[in-house]
Amino acid sequence: MPTDSAVERLPSGDQRLAELRSLLLGPDREAWEGLRRRLENPSQRAEDVAGVLAEAVRLRSDFKLRRALQPLLEEALQLSVQSNPRMLADALFPIFGKAIRKAVTAELEGMLQSLSQTLEQSFSLRSLRWRWESIQTRKPYAEVVLLRSLLYHVEQVFLIHRHSGLLLQHVAALSAETKDPDMVSGMLTAIQDFVRDSVSGAEGDNLETVRLGEIGVVLAYGPDAILCGFVRGVAPRNLSRIFQETLDAIEQQKAEALHAFSGDVSSFDDCRPKLEVCLLGQGRPAARKTASRMAGALLFGLPSLLLMALASWWIYSLALERRWSNFTDRLRGEPGIVMTRAEKRGATHYISGLRDPLAADPAALLQAAGLPSANVAFQWQEYHSLEPTFAAQRRLVELKDQLEKRAFRFVTGSADIPKEQLFLLEDVAPQILALTRTATSLGRTVQIEVRGNHDPVGTEQINSMLARSRAVNVRAALVSLGVPADRLTAVAQDRDACSAISEDERVFCRSASFRVMGVP
Amino acid sequence: MLKKKICMVGQFGVGKTSLVRRFVDSIFDERYHTTVGVKIDRKDVTIGAASVTLMLWDIAGEDDLAQLKVSHLRAASGYILVVDGCRAASFSKAVELQQRITQTLGSLPFVLVLNKADLRDQWEVKSADLEKCGWPAFETSAKTGSGVEEMFLGLAGKLLSENSTGEGPGE
Repeated sequence: MPTDSAVERLPSGDQRLAELRSLLLGPDREAWEGLRRRLENPSQRAEDVAGVLAEAVRLRSDFKLRRALQPLLEEALQLSVQSNPRMLADALFPIFGKAIRKAVTAELEGMLQSLSQTLEQSFSLRSLRWRWESIQTRKPYAEVVLLRSLLYHVEQVFLIHRHSGLLLQHVAALSAETKDPDMVSGMLTAIQDFVRDSVSGAEGDNLETVRLGEIGVVLAYGPDAILCGFVRGVAPRNLSRIFQETLDAIEQQKAEALHAFSGDVSSFDDCRPKLEVCLLGQGRPAARKTASRMAGALLFGLPSLLLMALASWWIYSLALERRWSNFTDRLRGEPGIVMTRAEKRGATHYISGLRDPLAADPAALLQAAGLPSANVAFQWQEYHSLEPTFAAQRRLVELKDQLEKRAFRFVTGSADIPKEQLFLLEDVAPQILALTRTATSLGRTVQIEVRGNHDPVGTEQINSMLARSRAVNVRAALVSLGVPADRLTAVAQDRDACSAISEDERVFCRSASFRVMGVP
Repeated sequence: MLKKKICMVGQFGVGKTSLVRRFVDSIFDERYHTTVGVKIDRKDVTIGAASVTLMLWDIAGEDDLAQLKVSHLRAASGYILVVDGCRAASFSKAVELQQRITQTLGSLPFVLVLNKADLRDQWEVKSADLEKCGWPAFETSAKTGSGVEEMFLGLAGKLLSENSTGEGPGE
């Protein structure tokens, strides 16, 4: 292309041609020049591409661009993670944080549910049955438990129009107590609106959990409807999935009716079978409650009972030991008893020692203490205690024996004390006085009979008078020697008392003897 | 079987709850109980040959502190604007609410109710104000029961006729 200086050097004809060319092509030449400069300038070219890149990518909808970009993006992402992982973590946190929280919450709920079920099932007769079934069927115990122990019961299912809150269909288990389902449906929607308005305000956020006492509410959401179930007990995690699948099927089947819903609920009558399928549950709530109570009773009641039994046994043993201890103490303090050993071997108490025959009977003391005689073995050696009481008792017995051996002899037909017998009075009177004193010291009252006897010869009348007179005379003689008259009684022995027949023996019959009353 | 959601809206203390109680339970209580949030009742009515279940959403009245939650009116078939004839401010509030509902949910069938007809001599709302609006209006007294049933049945009939012409509720 000729330049301006070249044009000036051209001959006049050519000059005109060049001027013409300049006039015709000048603007284009400038435009071409501009384009050339633009293409040769890399920064300008980058600016041009940036302006159309987004639109170009959008227009390129086939897979070629994605395939081309994939390795580049992967490499870029890898480089980004290597150089600054925090940036990516910060970017993903809002997504993953929420998802992880939800997953952890669900897992924890599952664990709690499992723990609760395990506790309930570990202490029941039912669990033993399941273990037996597991052995018989060779199924894992956990599988049998899962099959037999779904401790929940879907009592009512509501299909609700999502926007108006109007009840489209409702089914209930036979045993369920239902209140006006239309109002329940409306209130559920109102509660949901309230929670959404109060808490998040976002249209996509849904109320996920409602629980009141034993009743939990399972909620599944679709674009135009809500499927809601009232569940008594602890619902398994897959129940929500079942509800959601049922609702999806209804939404698909009734999409048009739901979208154009204007209050006519009869078009949803054929949804009942689907809703009835949702009335799931195994394990009657009542049985569960009973089982739970039984489990609680077994868990807490049995140890409590054992503790109470142990405590009672301990208290009873202590009381029994205390009674045994009191008994042995009493034996030790008992006059005339010297306990040398008291020990317990097994259930038997072995007690041995020395015992005065006059001392109290240990067996009687045992009975008085209310202790079982079967649990004791006594072994006593006899001895004479020096206790004053026992000495006095023995002296009393001795005096009695001595006195009862004394006798005054009389001649035939006479009631007078023979002279050679008078010395006896001086022996007998002190004996009687000693006897009464000893008896008084022991708190006893003795009575002494003076018994007049006769031989069998003679008439009964004379003999009887003779026997009495002999007794009276001896009594009078003793009274005259200071023996208290009220302690002595004169009596006549009857005829049969002396049946000797020889003369030598008759001497012993003509007598007056003594009998002491009130001494054992 | 038809079911219709009808909302009661209006300023606080105009008698929305009393109107519902009079219509549903035939009861009037002199004591005033403020409604918290929303209370739902149902009433089955027969209009001509059609049986309709009216689900009555008694929404808490609006005052200086609490604003009406329009979300409660979502997918309602119609609503009742309740005005206390003795309080002119309640009429202004009704006008304001009507505009807000129309802006948010579109045009919905509704009726205006001038309640407390038993105190007509104390009314501040003038008939000229009503005529200016041109809205369908009823005069009721929840206390005596006058006009209550007619008002509810009137709206229900209107909804039924709209149903038969194929008009669905606005969103």
